[in-house]
Parts: sequence; structure tokens; C-alpha cells
Amino acid sequence: MNITVCAKQIPDPANDTSYDNGIIVRPEEQVLDDTDRYGIEVALQLKEKFDAEVTIISMGPAGTMKGLQQALQMGADKAIYVDDDSLKGANSLMTANVLSELAKTTNADIVIFGTESTDGYSGTVPQQVSRFLKLDCISYVKALEIGDDVSLTRQTSEGSEKVKMPPKCVISVTAGGVEPRYPNFKDIMAAKSKPIEKVELDKLNITTEQNLEFISIEALENSKNGETIIDEGEAFQVIVDKLKELKVI
Amino acid sequence: MKTLILGEILNETLSSGTLEIIKKAQDENLDYQVLTIGSDDAPKIGSESFKQTYIKRSSDSLQFSKITDLITNIINNEGINLILGSSTYLCRDLVSFISVDLNSSPVSNAIDFEISGDTVSTINSINGGESLYKSKIASTHALLLIRPKSFDPADVELIDNFETIEVESSDVSIFDIYKEEKTGPQLEDSKVVISAGRGMVDKENLVIVEELAAKLNAAIGGTRAIVDAGWMPYSQQVGQTGKTVKPDVYIACGISGATQHQVGMKDSKYIIAINKDEEAPIFQLADLGIVGDTLNVIPKINQNL
Repeated sequence: MNITVCAKQIPDPANDTSYDNGIIVRPEEQVLDDTDRYGIEVALQLKEKFDAEVTIISMGPAGTMKGLQQALQMGADKAIYVDDDSLKGANSLMTANVLSELAKTTNADIVIFGTESTDGYSGTVPQQVSRFLKLDCISYVKALEIGDDVSLTRQTSEGSEKVKMPPKCVISVTAGGVEPRYPNFKDIMAAKSKPIEKVELDKLNITTEQNLEFISIEALENSKNGETIIDEGEAFQVIVDKLKELKVI
Repeated sequence: MKTLILGEILNETLSSGTLEIIKKAQDENLDYQVLTIGSDDAPKIGSESFKQTYIKRSSDSLQFSKITDLITNIINNEGINLILGSSTYLCRDLVSFISVDLNSSPVSNAIDFEISGDTVSTINSINGGESLYKSKIASTHALLLIRPKSFDPADVELIDNFETIEVESSDVSIFDIYKEEKTGPQLEDSKVVISAGRGMVDKENLVIVEELAAKLNAAIGGTRAIVDAGWMPYSQQVGQTGKTVKPDVYIACGISGATQHQVGMKDSKYIIAINKDEEAPIFQLADLGIVGDTLNVIPKINQNL
């Protein structure tokens, strides 16, 4: 079984995101998007059962490749990526186009994603990739049970439902569904010798283009300058009085 | 501009997200029709004032690719340029699939849009609602995923008369359908919402929030952190990846106010925040901030209501 997992390198979420002409500014050192750890974990659980090879695919400025290393440290076997200036500020469809072409080069049976990235959070790329690859999309997976078959539990607006994982499909995994593993020292050392290969964009069949023109970013003034009270045991009374004034009680 | 609104069903009628987009379409005088996807047998989703087509799926198999084919066909045959859906599980999936067919990247997390001639411009909220990002769509088709509560819902009389298209089953069968029990006030429409965060320390402590909620007839929400920790079902998550709420009063208990959470609640009319850390970002949003231990303050409120 070939399993391909998409991993995105993003600016450290602990820092504020900054934009240049509508495009997220990416430092040399980016980290693995936490959202992708869930997808990688699902891939590794499948690998343990079905003896699969797990390939990481990624698009974006490679920089120090710290994020890709982090994905390999968890236990993926190798990584391939596209880093091309013409993709700067690529929309979700272009991104999905590139990633689905990369997935084709790995002969992927199962392609796994987090549901949405932490920096752009468009939340559409896994589904778009499935349509490009003409595969079923099992979206918002929040649990899996691996036996002879694999059953996937999908989050729905009303609750959840289970489906049997088809032999070929695209899966998106929600945060919290599985517990991503932490690499130990041995894993971290082993990752250093795993292959990371750059794929040139002109080797891929790209049929999409930019369709969104940036106009502006406006900061909102969210601060309300409300009243702040340090509780010395009686602050509850202020809330009770306020709830009465607001006619909530 | 010829417009297609992707509709969804909740409690056998159009979801509030769908009605909100219909309101915007009415206000903009768009030439719109609604295409609603669901599995109910006899929903009340038709109207005298717009064309409604019901795409009826079976609840026993995933039929996304067949539904997408149907929708793309309708868009092409009817010369539709603008496609609107709510940022929900279903619409996010469908709009993404359709975007590949139409070769037009969608705009996610839109909170408003305007139309001038043939051009659609969108506004989305970024950085957890701290900034607005404006862009113009240059392709023939414009696909927008709109955050719930961006517009007021339309006030339309719904009838049970509409065209229905049945979708064939697929070979990806669905089993073990689980419906989360919905009792008491719901997050989307409750006038008071009480949300809990990590500052509640332990799942067991949620009982004091539940007691307060019962006294105020409030819905209960939570942050992504506590939902991921399994304290609450996902359906109660408030924030970027959860629900957007706009109650009259929002009480944040032990919530620091990460941008991920803020985007789901910052438009509440009156915000009360209780948190130990006086530097917590939630206090920037609060009308009334109490710097103190939620676990001390809430039981005292409960005793005094």
C-alpha cells in the first residue's frame, strides 16, 4: 500500500502572521503544521497494519526544511516537495493541483490530509485533490478502527457516521481524532538519513491559475476598553448585577 | 448575476446558514435559485419567491461525486456565475469539488461580498477576526464559502412544493450513523452562551458551568483545547473550526481567548470574561472582565441567582 500524506510548513504559529501584498510572509525556518500531525499519525497506524510506505508531499518555500524533518521524525519514510517562486500566494485550487500531481508521482493509494492548515485555513484542498484524482473523499475523519478492514468515523453536522475505507481514496483528518506520536531521540536521528527530494514544477501537469486579486488588509479595532475588576472575593456580585441589568435573569 | 445558493436542511427546514445567504441574495437583487442537498423525506424548503431544487441523497452511502456532477451540470447549463454556500462540512466539500470542475478557486471564510458589474469582490476575516482581507475574483465563476452569522436570516414562508432529484447510491456505504442528542438551548440561537476553556482545569468542573447555564437558560460551548481533550463533543466548539455565535450575552469561563476562539464569539453583544491571567487576550474583547479564578467565581454566582 502506498500512503501519501500532505504536510505543510508554516510560520511558527506562536508568532503573529504577517502579510506582504496579501501573501503570508514565510521565514527561512518554518515548522510542521500541527494539523498535519493528525494525518501523519493516521498514516503511520495504517503502515503498522498494512506494511505501507509513507511519503510526505509538500508545497511551498522549503527553507531549512525543519517542518519536513519533523514529519519524517514522526516516522514517514521519505518526502518530496515543490518549491517554485511562481507558486507564491497560490490559491487553494493551484495548491491542490500541485499536490495531486505529486500524489500521482507516488502512486498513492491513500492520500491523507489535515482538514485545514493553521496559516491559511481555506479547508478546501483535500476535497479538491480528491476531485483532481477522481477518488472518493472521506472528509473530517475523527476516528479510525483498523481491523481486516479500516472503518473511518466522519464528523457530520448532526453527529457522526462511519464508512469502510475504500482501497483508494483521499482522507482528511480532524484535530483531536487521533493522538499524534512524539518522536524519540532515535527517531530524530533516523530522520536525518531519510530522502527528501525536490520535484521541479515543470515536470507536473499544472492546469490552474491565480484567480484572486488582492485588494487590501484592514486591521479591525477589536479592543473594547471594557471594565476590568480584580476579584477579591466579591466580583461575582458585579456579574450578578450585570446579568440582572441585561435582563438575562 | 445568475446565482446558485447551495442549501442545507436542519430540522426538516432550511438551515439558518442557508437563510442568511438568501437574505443577502435578496438584498443584492441577485437572480438566484437554491439547490438544497439532504436526506430528509419531506422537508419544508420550497418557496413562492425562489426556485428550489432538492437533491435527495440516501443516508446509506457517500454520494459526493454524483452530487457534484449534478451541480456542475446545472451551473453549466444555466449559465450560473456565482455559487454561494455556508462554511459547513457539506458545503465546504461540495464547493471544493465544484471548484475543480469549474477551474476557479473558491474563497473560504468570506463574511461579506459585493458585486459591481460582472465582478465579485469578497471580504474575509483573517487572524481570528483581527483583520479583514479584501480580494477580487477574476475568473468567470465565483465560488464563496460564507461564515455563518454573516447576514441576518431571510424571513421567507417555506412550503413543501419543489422539484426533487434523487441521487443514485455509491459503493462507499455508510453505517453506524450517530446523531448527537440536542437538548436544551442550542449554541446557534441561544440568547446567552456560556463557554468553558482550559481554565476550568478538569472536566468534572464543568458541572458548575452546567448549573449556571441551567439558571440562565443558556447554551454551553467550549474552546478547541477542551473539545480536543474530549471534555465536550465537537458540536459545542466555538471558534474558527467550530461554531460562530452572536448571543446577547457571552460568558467566557477560563478562556484565554486565542484568535481561533475569538473569531467564533467576538461579535457577541455583551461579553463577560473570567480568567486568572490578567494578560489574557480575552479581556481585550470583554465588556466586563473579572481577573480571578473561574472555579471560585462561578459557584458564587450560582448561589446568588
